[in-house]
Amino acid sequence: MPAVIDASKCNGCELCDLYCPVDVIYMENDIAVVRYPEECWHCGACRQECARGAVSMQFSMAMLSI
Amino acid sequence: MSTNHRTVHDIETDVAVIGGGTAGLNSAIAAAEAGCRVLIVDKANIVHSGSIAGGIDHFMAFLDTGAQWDTREGYLAYVAEVAKGAADLEVHDAVFCDELPAALKRIERIGVSLRQPDGKIFRTSSMGQPGPYWINFDGKKLKPKMAMEVKRRKCTILNRVQVTNLYLHDGELAGFTGFNIRTGEFYRIRAKAVVIATGNTNRMYNAQTGNPFNLWYCPANTGDLHRAAFDVGVALANVEYVRMTIVPKGFSAPGFNAFFGMGAQLVNALGEPFMKAYHSMGAKAPRNAMVWGALQELKEGRGPIYMDCRHLAQKDLEHLFFTLGIDKDTLPEFFAAKGYAKDGAMIEMTVSEPMQARPSELCGSGIRIDRRCASNVPGIYAAGDASDQMGCLHMGFAGGFAAGRHAAAYASKTKTPRPLDAGAMDEEQARVFAPLERSKGVSYREFENTVRVISTDHFGPVKSEISLKGALAKFDRLDASRQELKADNLHELMRTHEAMNIHQVAKISATAALARKETRFQPFHYRADYPDTDEENYCGLMVIQKQANGEISTRLDKLRYAI
Repeated sequence: MPAVIDASKCNGCELCDLYCPVDVIYMENDIAVVRYPEECWHCGACRQECARGAVSMQFSMAMLSI
Repeated sequence: MSTNHRTVHDIETDVAVIGGGTAGLNSAIAAAEAGCRVLIVDKANIVHSGSIAGGIDHFMAFLDTGAQWDTREGYLAYVAEVAKGAADLEVHDAVFCDELPAALKRIERIGVSLRQPDGKIFRTSSMGQPGPYWINFDGKKLKPKMAMEVKRRKCTILNRVQVTNLYLHDGELAGFTGFNIRTGEFYRIRAKAVVIATGNTNRMYNAQTGNPFNLWYCPANTGDLHRAAFDVGVALANVEYVRMTIVPKGFSAPGFNAFFGMGAQLVNALGEPFMKAYHSMGAKAPRNAMVWGALQELKEGRGPIYMDCRHLAQKDLEHLFFTLGIDKDTLPEFFAAKGYAKDGAMIEMTVSEPMQARPSELCGSGIRIDRRCASNVPGIYAAGDASDQMGCLHMGFAGGFAAGRHAAAYASKTKTPRPLDAGAMDEEQARVFAPLERSKGVSYREFENTVRVISTDHFGPVKSEISLKGALAKFDRLDASRQELKADNLHELMRTHEAMNIHQVAKISATAALARKETRFQPFHYRADYPDTDEENYCGLMVIQKQANGEISTRLDKLRYAI
């Protein structure tokens, strides 16, 4: 998993959805969801824009293990 | 989802900028300053799009501080030495050297300082430089600040619109089409001039983790406009090159320049620094030489390779890890998750995925431009990585502005935009949305993955006449599958068009590579059947172009380097 959004912290501001350069984050029921996690570039734009600290990064098993 | 019910927008503008990254936004600023109506079209949102979406930390410049290397002449001599056969010095002089002083002022005017917190300019050297040309700075907010600047200048912005094709009228630019990747609205845009600034082509080769989005450069850059421009007869150059770098094992992230600029060394599994064996400048050698050295060590069984930072002073180490996080926001966390300490760890590295891009920081790969950033098709200009002569932040920033200014001058001579043919518009709308209409077929994932395997096996990066011809035969056999591609939603529709563009650019790249019967910038163009550099016959640009009759031609535009 790449960008991971903590739904309990998300205030639905939509900025991460708006600014993701690779279109992987979508709003679902006013909460941001990483719909295409396998297409994340790990650029950190979503996290930079999140005022609530709801975005964290998790690196895949392959990234950490090879 | 019938295409008949889609909302269609007809827009008219003076200068359209396709691709709102570094180069594109600078083009937009210039065209707006010249008094034009400016439309910026980006597949994402210009606040965070393109190669510096998450940040950037180096800007190359000569600053006339007194030393010979720090002058325009010294800099051009450096370009001639490390980008020989790919950089057109006359164009470089016009689109970078002439524009640099204003670019340095502009970057600070929009609110990003090139200085360290102590007010001083901190410069480092790497990549074969005769002196420290890199200004190391905190460009984390550069992209959002540029976006604010174009909004302040009243540019119209179309975010989330993927451009699908360009159109000419009587041999000159008429406009282009595109669709919104979230709403499906279709756009027919007439423009007096266009600046193409859509970067290089990624996702064309297998990536180290197997994930094609875990890339050094932006995975949204998929050669969309390389392909569209090529199809209307725009000449491309430098597209035979395959570009790679040295990246952390597991994460294809930038950092090469920060590591080597701060004095880190590459060592092999025996603990030996090995670059001196491949280049007299050792770890300060040009990027292609570094990649070549690393590949040889890995091939000969002296891998893994490591970035040795143990000898660096504590304050340099702290600065190194800080600036790595400016260039790639998430890289410090990755290092922490891998268990690397900041006190001088040996970080395992590898060679990144190949990509279709410039062989040097001092040129580009794509649309052949002249001193005015103009292509061979009137009304079509190019800037940044999408052009054959600009690359990297410094040239995108400086030369992007030049492209916008020249496009504006061209637009000002045109009374009204040229017409778009109604039949062609209907045909394109049907073509663009066709994958949504198919109830069964092939997914972009399978198609794109097949392209990647062919590219990697046949020219990723080593190539020969047999391997390239084999690749082209396989790519041609994939043509039939293009008619079967199926998308279940608009996101997949975007990816489907991206995959088709990657396929076409791979064909163009392999065709150009076939014509360059020598090796240059090894391993970026390494012909196993012609392993030597042939200055007499190939010191120049391999230009590839689709002729009016549909035939594809190549020619060599020779370059001279007498300074």
